[in-house]
Amino acid sequence: MSDRYARQVLFYGIGNKGQKILMEKTAVLVGCGALGCTSANLLVRSGIKCLKIVDRDYIEESNLQRQSLFDEEDISKNLPKAVAAQKKLQKVNSHIQIEAIVADINPSNIETILENANVVIDGTDNFETRFLINDYCVKEEIPWIYGACIGSIGLTMNIVPPKTPCLRCVLDTIPPFGTTETCDTAGIIAPIASMIASIQAAEALKILTGNYDALSKGLLKIDLWRNEIKKLHTDDIREKSDCITCKQHHFEFLSKDRYSMTTSLCGRNAVQILHPNGSKLDLAKLALRLEQVGKVSFNSFLLRLNLDKYELTVFPDGRLIITGTNDAAVAKGLYAKYIGM
Amino acid sequence: MNYLDNAATTFPKPEIVYKTMDTFYRTLGANPGRSGHKMAVAAEKEIEDTRAVVTKLFGIKNSNRFVFTFNATDAINMGIKGLLKSDDHAITTYLEHNAVSRALNGLERRNIITVTKVRNSQDGFIDPDDIKNAITSKTRLIVMAHAPNVLGTIQPIKEIGRIARENNIIFFIDAAQTAGVCEIDVNKDFVDMLAFTGHKGPLGPTGTGGLYVGERANLEPWREGGTGFEPASLSQPEELPYKLESGTPNTVGIAGLRAGVEYILSKGIQAIRKHEQKLIDKLINALKDDRRFILYGTTDISRKVGILSLNIKGFKPAEVGAILDQSFDIAVRPGLHCAPFAHQVLGTFPDGTVRISPGFFNTEADIDQLITALNRIANEKI
Repeated sequence: MSDRYARQVLFYGIGNKGQKILMEKTAVLVGCGALGCTSANLLVRSGIKCLKIVDRDYIEESNLQRQSLFDEEDISKNLPKAVAAQKKLQKVNSHIQIEAIVADINPSNIETILENANVVIDGTDNFETRFLINDYCVKEEIPWIYGACIGSIGLTMNIVPPKTPCLRCVLDTIPPFGTTETCDTAGIIAPIASMIASIQAAEALKILTGNYDALSKGLLKIDLWRNEIKKLHTDDIREKSDCITCKQHHFEFLSKDRYSMTTSLCGRNAVQILHPNGSKLDLAKLALRLEQVGKVSFNSFLLRLNLDKYELTVFPDGRLIITGTNDAAVAKGLYAKYIGM
Repeated sequence: MNYLDNAATTFPKPEIVYKTMDTFYRTLGANPGRSGHKMAVAAEKEIEDTRAVVTKLFGIKNSNRFVFTFNATDAINMGIKGLLKSDDHAITTYLEHNAVSRALNGLERRNIITVTKVRNSQDGFIDPDDIKNAITSKTRLIVMAHAPNVLGTIQPIKEIGRIARENNIIFFIDAAQTAGVCEIDVNKDFVDMLAFTGHKGPLGPTGTGGLYVGERANLEPWREGGTGFEPASLSQPEELPYKLESGTPNTVGIAGLRAGVEYILSKGIQAIRKHEQKLIDKLINALKDDRRFILYGTTDISRKVGILSLNIKGFKPAEVGAILDQSFDIAVRPGLHCAPFAHQVLGTFPDGTVRISPGFFNTEADIDQLITALNRIANEKI
């Protein structure tokens, strides 16, 4: 084995044997933002066989503060995040396979994207996609590593079906659309993302080398501003719960029953996103949250948010019309970024 | 839900339509005209009975010249692509649905035909003289909506049909918005081809429709295959309707279509039209002098079907549609209605309009509720 991985091989938890196993494994990273940049970098350097990077977004200036794989040149070239990450990381390690997938992962394409995954890393910015990943991974028994950050707070949890509780054991329902803060409304500091992503990468190494006993158990919550580290023990949750996903095997997101409906509206350049369960939004509250983001106006029927290229119209049931694009992926990205889904 | 989107598809259907389809599929669901057994013969009879009933809607004398299709788009494609040949010229209007515009544009883009689009008046009508002036020595086809789907304005088809006849040109009307709600007589109106869909005015199910092919129109089939007729021959039969009706038909849908058309005929087309006129008139009167609203097309209800396109100042049509849906439980159709050129000439491109289209089962109370909702939205201008 080359020198490249010598220090990792020396480490007792990996060794020659672990490294060989690692070099046969495929990881899929869903979402290449602040979390994804760090975990992708660490996994590529560790010498796995293949990393697939899935992301629907293009790089923006406000990403550079925390998304460590991107630079100003990428923005001037208007590169999709997945492509920019692939190019950069391929320079770091030309011996492994790195695949960029510029797509919105959804119930129709998730099987094609995740089918050969030995582990799935969560770098997404929304609950809907996480619940979808959870459905697929529970169904196919693929381990996945939940990760999320906002402000100075980060969360992560390993989900190893069917052994551990799944995301829905811990969080039964998806928060209603438009009720969760996002990094684009509440902000984020970069170190928490690096920290959570580093933990995700370490957990991925354990999973990929078969070191399941070493895995972190439970839901880990870190607040770097208040200097708090908490662990929610989830050991008996699965036993106690009658989880709709991992116990009853109803995959509501994969089957699209609870997945948002995206419709290109009859009219140019507008997409509507409708959540099947609806929401009950307080438009005044939402307006307050979005004040920093762009020009906001609202009445009792709707709220308009004017961004540079897009106009977002939010309705009290969580329905959103995005004017300025025909692309469902772009529309969903904007929803996740500014409204929260 | 207060359903006011009947120009997209009528809802609900008469109870008899649901019942007929249910009974048909449970008792006669065989493949018609293929096997010769009792059930197949009965299914075939159902189709022929429907053919006989539907042709009454349009004054078609020879029912063999009426071909079942899956919708109006299917019929329009069959008509346009089956008729036009290299170097032909076609005349159409700016008010057309994409079913017509795109079918013509496809041939034009491949340099097979040339197309002239005739402009309409501000209130939504085509002047027959403009059609006349667009005729060239190569003009083979005039194709246009009887009542375009954005404005619902009833076009002077008889005058245009006469011009077509005098110039030996095929006159093809898209009756998607008028079949079942307007009196049409292909002979008196000089119509050579007529396309319609079953799920709108005829009150039938989706997946049904038809094309009338008059004696003057000779179409090449664009869909060839099994017809249950002359199976040993490799070539498509020349005889109508088989020539254009390949593949297993939508028998259950056709059974439903018959029930819908029989229902209309029992109520009377004029009674249906009067009802829709009354509703749209109520809406027009409530809004026409209110400067917060913009109404498109003529407000003379004797010259339009039950369609009104409008906008509320300060709101995008998609916003109005979404508010009506979620806050008032009213279904309408915002946007371009698959007719981008119509909106360009109206000045409503690219956002379009809010199209309101009551049907036979709507009541005055439905319109009152809509008027209240529109006023409440307009009051909250932001």
